[in-house]
Amino acid sequence: MTYLMSLFLIGLIVGMVAVASNPAPYFAALGLVVSAGVGCGILAGHGGSFLSLILFLIYLGGMLVVFAYSAALAAEPYPEAWGGWSVIVYMLVYMTGVVVAGACMWGGWYEGFWVMESFKEFMVVRGDTSGAAFMYSFGGGMLVISAWVLLLTLFVVLELTRGLSRGTLRAV
Amino acid sequence: MNPYVIMILISSLGLGTTLTFASSHWLLAWMGLEINTLAILPLMAQQHHPRAVEATTKYFLTQATAAAMILFASTTNAWIMGQWDINQMSHPITTTLVMTALALKIGLAPMHFWLPEVLQGLELTTGLILSTWQKLAPFALIIQIAPNVNHSLLMTLGLLSTFIGGWGGLNQTQLRKIMAYSSIAHLGWMIIVLQTMPTLTLLALITYIFMTTSTFLMLKLNQTTKITTLSSAWTKTPLAATLLSLTLLSLGGLPPLTGFMPKWLILQELTKQHLPLTATIIAISALLSLYFYLRLCYAMTLTISPSTNNSSAPWRLKNTQSTLLLATSTVLATSLLPLTPTTLAMLL
Repeated sequence: MTYLMSLFLIGLIVGMVAVASNPAPYFAALGLVVSAGVGCGILAGHGGSFLSLILFLIYLGGMLVVFAYSAALAAEPYPEAWGGWSVIVYMLVYMTGVVVAGACMWGGWYEGFWVMESFKEFMVVRGDTSGAAFMYSFGGGMLVISAWVLLLTLFVVLELTRGLSRGTLRAV
Repeated sequence: MNPYVIMILISSLGLGTTLTFASSHWLLAWMGLEINTLAILPLMAQQHHPRAVEATTKYFLTQATAAAMILFASTTNAWIMGQWDINQMSHPITTTLVMTALALKIGLAPMHFWLPEVLQGLELTTGLILSTWQKLAPFALIIQIAPNVNHSLLMTLGLLSTFIGGWGGLNQTQLRKIMAYSSIAHLGWMIIVLQTMPTLTLLALITYIFMTTSTFLMLKLNQTTKITTLSSAWTKTPLAATLLSLTLLSLGGLPPLTGFMPKWLILQELTKQHLPLTATIIAISALLSLYFYLRLCYAMTLTISPSTNNSSAPWRLKNTQSTLLLATSTVLATSLLPLTPTTLAMLL
């Protein structure tokens, strides 16, 4: 389990670096998917299986479509991968930053350091499920507002992307 | 745009700010900020030309970054301190993070680069909303967290903003960019006095809103967005041009006008807090801003011939713009100084 978690954490950092180092949108989306998936694994490994499932279904299910479409719109004949000169400099700088930061904070690290503390043992429901339930029972209005925000987002996206000939963001 | 959609967007713009005002919980405040950002995006890209879409994209990216930082800092705070209250956020790391994020949201100096470019891509009315209404929600949060924020951070943000606002505006010929730099400079004045007397921050924000509303609406009335057209805009409405120059001088902070009031009181407060060096520096930085306001005044009004003739009046249609808000805000922007005691008593 420890090795798996270490692998996941390394995968998360590498995925983030892969996004942040400005490769072509194809590869950036790939890096984002990798880091999101690995992040779900970390959440599940540390006791947040419900949140992990939600994140996996919604984030990777919904956002992947958006990534696919935006990558298709921003298609280029010679995409810049992580080996390209403009990208590899960023990769190296970010990796060095991660190593330096890791060296500085090495002392505060121990195994099982961020397992969820509350609602861990002797509870019928786990921390993440009961947390979601808490939020919507104490703040029921939040649910209404969230629904309104989703509706608003729909209108915003429709209004921004409406019109076939008026697209400014796409390269066609 | 469909009027129903406009109704949804404008009411959500109101809802976002109201939610942030009303909340004591970081999650709800963050939701309010996000609703605000989302609702203004289609209004910004209303014309669908590349410049507006570019401005919208830049605005979205910066605001999303700032909101993500706020969410990160507030969850970190909940993790470390075990509570979500806005005005009890006390951990130094999280308060610094949140203050930086809010500075990015309103465009304070080291994080100001998006503001002139975004404002330049918008229409004057949307620009007005962006520089007035969109500042309110972040300011509500800033005032609530202010007592626990690092003092040097606020001083640095404030001084840098006034100077960069002044310097940035010097070489501009586009009026919306000048208004953006003027916004940055005014925000610096508001931040510098945030910890010693938050009332003055509010006062400066309110007077800034009056002055900038008047300026934007007057520019819209004249349909002018750069200095070259400004110099021939007075022929349409010579009296409004005169009032615009008064409003601009009020933004610059000259004594018999409204803009002098917040600057005066802030300098007094800084002196009372034994910060004479800061007070002197910030007073000097106001001169930088005054220079470009004066140049606008010169281009617009100071070269009008004393006896105007009919031949310089251009051919034009009857103006259909409603001028009620313009009239109100111009009166407030030019002649509020005698009411200083009442205004202070109202806010204190």
